[in-house]
Amino acid sequence: MPPALRDLQAAFAAQLVGRDSADLASAVVGDSIPADARLRVYRHHVGHSLGAALAATFPTVQALVGDDFFQAMARAFVAREPPTQPVLAEYGVEFPAFVAGYEPAQGLPYLADVARLDWALNVAFHSPATRRLAAADLAAVAVERLPSLTVGLSDGAALIGSKYPIDRIWHASQPGTSTDAVDLAAGRADLLVLRRADDAFFVTLAAGEAAFVAVLIDGNALELAAAAGLQADAAFDLSMAFARLLGLQAFAALQQDGDRKVVKAS
Amino acid sequence: MTKTRIAIASALAAALVLPVAAQAQGNTEKCYGISKAGKNDCQTATSSCAGTSKKDAQGDAWLSVPKGACEKIVGGKLTAAKG
Amino acid sequence: MKPVAGIGLRSPHLAEIGRDRPATGFLEIHAENYLGGSTAFLTIERLRADYEFSVHAVGLSLGSVDGLDEAHLARVAALVKRLEPACVSDHLSWSVHDGRYFNDLLPLPYTEEALDVVARNIERLQEALGRQVSIENPSCYLGFAHSTLSEPEFLAELVRRSGCGLLFDVNNIVVTAHNLRLDPRDWLSGLPGGAITEYHLAGHAVNDCDGQAILIDDHGSRVGDEVWTLFDDVIRRYGVRPTLVEWDSDIPELAVLLDEAARAGRMIQAAGADAARAA
Repeated sequence: MPPALRDLQAAFAAQLVGRDSADLASAVVGDSIPADARLRVYRHHVGHSLGAALAATFPTVQALVGDDFFQAMARAFVAREPPTQPVLAEYGVEFPAFVAGYEPAQGLPYLADVARLDWALNVAFHSPATRRLAAADLAAVAVERLPSLTVGLSDGAALIGSKYPIDRIWHASQPGTSTDAVDLAAGRADLLVLRRADDAFFVTLAAGEAAFVAVLIDGNALELAAAAGLQADAAFDLSMAFARLLGLQAFAALQQDGDRKVVKAS
Repeated sequence: MTKTRIAIASALAAALVLPVAAQAQGNTEKCYGISKAGKNDCQTATSSCAGTSKKDAQGDAWLSVPKGACEKIVGGKLTAAKG
Repeated sequence: MKPVAGIGLRSPHLAEIGRDRPATGFLEIHAENYLGGSTAFLTIERLRADYEFSVHAVGLSLGSVDGLDEAHLARVAALVKRLEPACVSDHLSWSVHDGRYFNDLLPLPYTEEALDVVARNIERLQEALGRQVSIENPSCYLGFAHSTLSEPEFLAELVRRSGCGLLFDVNNIVVTAHNLRLDPRDWLSGLPGGAITEYHLAGHAVNDCDGQAILIDDHGSRVGDEVWTLFDDVIRRYGVRPTLVEWDSDIPELAVLLDEAARAGRMIQAAGADAARAA
């Protein structure tokens, strides 16, 4: 009795993740190239291609650990968190957490944070081009109303904080870079990842700027964010910080009343 | 309006008229450009038929210290993973 | 679309094509790389002013027994609506099982049961897109003992039941024929040639599998001689169609890819001229 398609696909899927079955092998025509060798072509390709997709999404992690180590780590990840849809640019959200717990990488405590940075750049790059807030848009707002305004980050933007200097680590990991060494003693870094017209990039924020942005991300008004900035850094310059973020197009355009209703309803 | 609030309001308003050069300071190098857009393809990796099941079974056993740019990262408490 | 030769648009070439707009017949994209509204998609939209496009999906999994992933289907449909491509295609294969995506073009047994599944999925796809799609013959590394139809018989029946077109990948049949011990010309004679809407060409690798040569569809080199020869036979037998050169691994300079497409273009012209003379 030949296998039903459902059973055949279940057995094939199991074979791809390492569970051989005699029934499946017997359904495959073997000759001078035996059935199990033929099946292995598919198993190897699935592992290899998903590893390659993860390497494309996490290029800095790969540069740090080298190809062999990265591929072994990627395969362990694929086995635990396989893709659940076909768009590979959207595959790997759980990878940074996996890296954090990956035993062979415990000697590189900054690696998971670098993975978060790679993921954020990938997300920013693939985010839609929505309208950004410009300084001119705020000219119409009465000055006394500015402190109570809430501004959100633009689509694809993310704040990545690490107790390690992941901005310098990122630079040192770029192909052809001349950076000699990065001292982990340089301490924490707060990075703002943003989408630009034809790429994604990040900037390093000062402590006050990072606190300011973090409070805004939580949906609070500029007034509260300003207080947080000052609390984090007594030298926090609100004008310079806000001007810098506006210049970077870090904020989403203000929502019209109509849009806001839609957002609330959803 | 409290004094603090007035100070915040005027600092924010001042930001709106700062010269663009001061606003845009930041990283200008490409971090993630369109050359990285494609991850789905329809080829078969040439390594797919490499070897027999030996490589499958190697697992993490052959993993030793990572070899990559991490050699440039120094300081802190870096202990290499045991091979 | 006219029977011209085009290239598979790959991201390392995107900036150069956007800047220089080199002459080529059309550009084909993989649907799954442009579903997010990313900066890359906006580049593609700008290129529409200068190029015809075709959309080649790699992840619809038309052979999945549980039917299509409706969420993914809706995204592909939205892309097709925005790009209005000349041709839309995916493969005679499956890649999804139980909610897991395998990123490979996995083989189907050619049985009546599989025919029902694939025909139903193609019908759903064509309904969602509101247009005909073309189905590509895959590169196979194995065949199933319980297949009751040949691959061309299976494809012909899909055409009959669903009204789909065929995307005939010449390289894939060279790869499949070698690996499954078939004669590519026997295979060809069973194909409903009138349903072909597009040809694909690519390079393959010859690898060693436990001491036996196996052909691997790696899209990593120039088109091989055997594929060029078969392509010439095919276009003289079934007629010229839009023809794509694909290159997915060890991607070369754009000029190399354009050169391969130009060679295909010259063959199309020669075959077209001979056909016109004979008519």
